[in-house]
Amino acid sequence: MKTGFLYEFGVIWTCAKKDIKVALTDRIFTILGLFLPMNVLILMSLFVLAGSYAPTAVVMGENGAYAQLFYNAMSQAHSFRLQQTSPAQAQALINAGKIVAVVTIPPDFDQQIRNDQPVQVDVEINNLNTDFTNDIRRAVPLSITSFYAKAFPNLVTVVPSEHDLYLHDTDYIPYLGVSILVIALMVGALLQSGLGSAREWEGETMKELLLSPASRWSIMLGKMLGAFLVSLGSVAIVLIVLILLLGVAPVHWAAMFGLTLLTLIIFIAAGTILGTLLKRHQPVLALTFGTSIPLFFLSGAFGPISFSTPAVQVLAQIFPVYYAIVVLQYAFHNFALNTYGITGNTLVLGGYAIALVVLAAIVLRRSTIAH
Amino acid sequence: MFNFLRITWAIFYKDIRVWLRQPANVAATVIPPLAFLFIQALGAAAVGRSPVALVNLDSGPQGAKIVAAIRQADVFRLQETDAVHAQTLLKDLGVVAIVTIPADFSQRYLERLQTPIDVTVNNLNLDFTNDIRRAVPDAITQYYLAQGSASPIKITVREQDLRVHDIQLFQYTVLPTIALLLMISGIISGGLATALEWERYTVKEFLVSPASSAAIIAGKVLAGFVISFVLGTLVLGLVDIIGWVQPVGIYWLNTLLIVALISLFGSGLGVAIGALLKKVITTIAISINAALYLFFLSGGIGVLAFEPNWLQAIAAFIPLTYGIHAMQMALFYSSADLLGRDILVLGLSALATLLLGTFAVRRGLAG
Repeated sequence: MKTGFLYEFGVIWTCAKKDIKVALTDRIFTILGLFLPMNVLILMSLFVLAGSYAPTAVVMGENGAYAQLFYNAMSQAHSFRLQQTSPAQAQALINAGKIVAVVTIPPDFDQQIRNDQPVQVDVEINNLNTDFTNDIRRAVPLSITSFYAKAFPNLVTVVPSEHDLYLHDTDYIPYLGVSILVIALMVGALLQSGLGSAREWEGETMKELLLSPASRWSIMLGKMLGAFLVSLGSVAIVLIVLILLLGVAPVHWAAMFGLTLLTLIIFIAAGTILGTLLKRHQPVLALTFGTSIPLFFLSGAFGPISFSTPAVQVLAQIFPVYYAIVVLQYAFHNFALNTYGITGNTLVLGGYAIALVVLAAIVLRRSTIAH
Repeated sequence: MFNFLRITWAIFYKDIRVWLRQPANVAATVIPPLAFLFIQALGAAAVGRSPVALVNLDSGPQGAKIVAAIRQADVFRLQETDAVHAQTLLKDLGVVAIVTIPADFSQRYLERLQTPIDVTVNNLNLDFTNDIRRAVPDAITQYYLAQGSASPIKITVREQDLRVHDIQLFQYTVLPTIALLLMISGIISGGLATALEWERYTVKEFLVSPASSAAIIAGKVLAGFVISFVLGTLVLGLVDIIGWVQPVGIYWLNTLLIVALISLFGSGLGVAIGALLKKVITTIAISINAALYLFFLSGGIGVLAFEPNWLQAIAAFIPLTYGIHAMQMALFYSSADLLGRDILVLGLSALATLLLGTFAVRRGLAG
C-alpha cells in the first residue's frame, strides 16, 4: 500500500475534485440546492414581516380630540396596521378575511371621557388562533393605558417604565435571518455531502474506492472537502443576501466567518454519515429537506430556547443546530442566548465536529465490512 | 375500457410495490411533518406567555393588588422572587423581563403621583419585547378594572369574536402541516415513480407496449394519490386520537374529501414534474421546493388574514389555500362555509395537473 503525506493529500484532492465535478454536472439540482436556503429566507421573511402587525379597521364614531388621541395610541401600540373605514366597509373587510379586527370608537366617546363616564369600545376579532388573537386582546389595553397616560397623566398614574438591556430593538428579520443562515448551512452541507456519499454506493463505485490502495480516511476527507467547497457557494449566496440586501451586518466579522465554517464542517460530516448509512440519494434528499423545518422550529430560531418549555429546551440541546444559532447570533448581534458563553458553545460545536468526523470514519469502515 | 382499467391497475400495483420496498423513503416522507407537529405541541405552552420575574418591593395594599392583577391577567409565566434572584434570572436568560413594583408604590398611588412599574426587558428580539410591551399594560388595565366604579379608567372593551371558540396555535398549525405532508408525499411519490421510468429506461417498455398514455398516467397518479391519501388519513386519525384536532360527524367526510383532493392535486403535479424533468434527483429537488412554496404561500406558518393584501392576493392563486380553509372550517368550526368554492378550486387544480401530467408524459414518450 502506498503511503506518505503527499500520496494521501493526492487522494483527498482527487476525491474532492471528482465530487465537485459530479455535483456541477447536474446544474439544475446544484442551482436549486444553492438557492433553496435563500428561498426559505425570502418566504419566511415575507410572512414574519407582514404577520407582526394585525390589519385592523377603526370605525371612528367621531373625530373629537380624545377619539383622535385614542386612535394615535393604537397606532403606536406596536401591534396594528390601522385603516379608518365606515362600519359597512369594516364588516365587509373582516368577513372577507382581509382584516382581523374592527375597533369601533363610539359617537359619544369624547363627551363620555370629558364627563368621566364609562365608555365602551367595541372590538370585533377574527379569533383564528390564540397566538395572533391574544396580541390584539393585549394591544387594546396597551392603547387604553397609553391614551390615559397622555390625556390624563394625573388620573391614571400607574404606567410601565421600560428599561431595555440592549440599546436597540432587534427586528424580526435581522434576528430570524441569522437562524435561517444556520438552516441554510445545514441543508446545503447535508445535501452536498450526503448525496456525494450516497451516489458512490448507489452507483457501486464505492467498491472501486474501497478496493483501491487509498486509505479510508483519505477517501472520506476527500469527499468531505469536495462537499465543503461546493457548499461554500450556497453559504456565500445567503451571506450576501443577509448582509448586503437585508443589511444584517455582523458585529464580529472574524467570529462570523470562523463559526460559519465550523458549522459547515459539522453538517458536512453529518451528511457523510447519512449518505453512507442510507446509501441511496432519495431518502437523503427527503430527510435533508424534511428535517430542516422541524429543526428550525426546535432550535431557538425565533428566540432563546430558555424562554420555551423545558421539553423543547432539552430536545433542542441534543442537536448542533441550536449551538450554531447561539454562536452566530453572537457573531451577528453580540447576543448571549445561553449561559455557556461563546467559548463554551464553540467548544460544544468543536466537539460535535470531531465526533461526527470520527463517526463518519467508523460508519465508512463498518460499511466496508458489511459490503 | 376493461383494457384501460387493467393497465391502470397494473401500473398502480407496480408503483405501490416499488414504494413499499423503500421504507427509508416512507420514513423520510412521514417523519418530518410528524416531528414538526410534535415540536409545535411541545412548545405550545410557551407561545404568547413569556417567562417573567415579578419583584414586589412594596408592602402596602396597592402593591398586593397590582401583583394580584398581574397574576390574574395570565399573560406571563410568572416567577415571583426577590430583586437579586430576578437579576440572575434575567442574566441567565431564565426570564425575558423583570417587572418590579417599587417600594413606594402604595404611597405614591395614594398621593396620586406618577407610579411607574419598572419593566426591565431583554430586548434582543422584537417578538418577545412586544409581547411584554403589550402584556404589562394589559395587567395594569385589569388592576384598574378591578377597582370597579372607582377606577379612573372609564374605557372598557366589549369583545365580539367572529368565531365560536379560539384555536390554539399548535392546533392551528396541524392543518397546514397535514397539507404539507400530502403535498410532499403526493409530489414525491408521483414524481419519483414517473422520473424513475426514464432514469431506469423502463419507459422503453411503455413505448413498445400497447398501453395508452392516459392509462399510464392514471396508474401513476392513482398510486401517488393512494399513498398520500392513506398517509394523510393516518395522520388525521393520529391527531384525532391525541385530541389535537377532532372532526365531528359528517365533517369527517368533508375533511377526507379535501384530503383526497389535495392528494390528487399533489400526485398529478408530481407526475407532471417527473415526466418533464425525467431525472429523480432533480425531480425531488424541484418537488420539495414546489411543496414548500405552496405551503408558505398558502399561509403555512402564519395566518393569511394578517398578511398584506398583495400576499393575500398571491395566496388566492394557491390551491392549498382552499384546502386548508376547508379543513379549518370542517375541523375547527364544524362548518361547511365556502366548501363548494374550495372543492371546485381544488378539483379544477387537480384536473389541471392531470392534464399537465398527460401532456408531459405524452411529450416524454414521444421524445
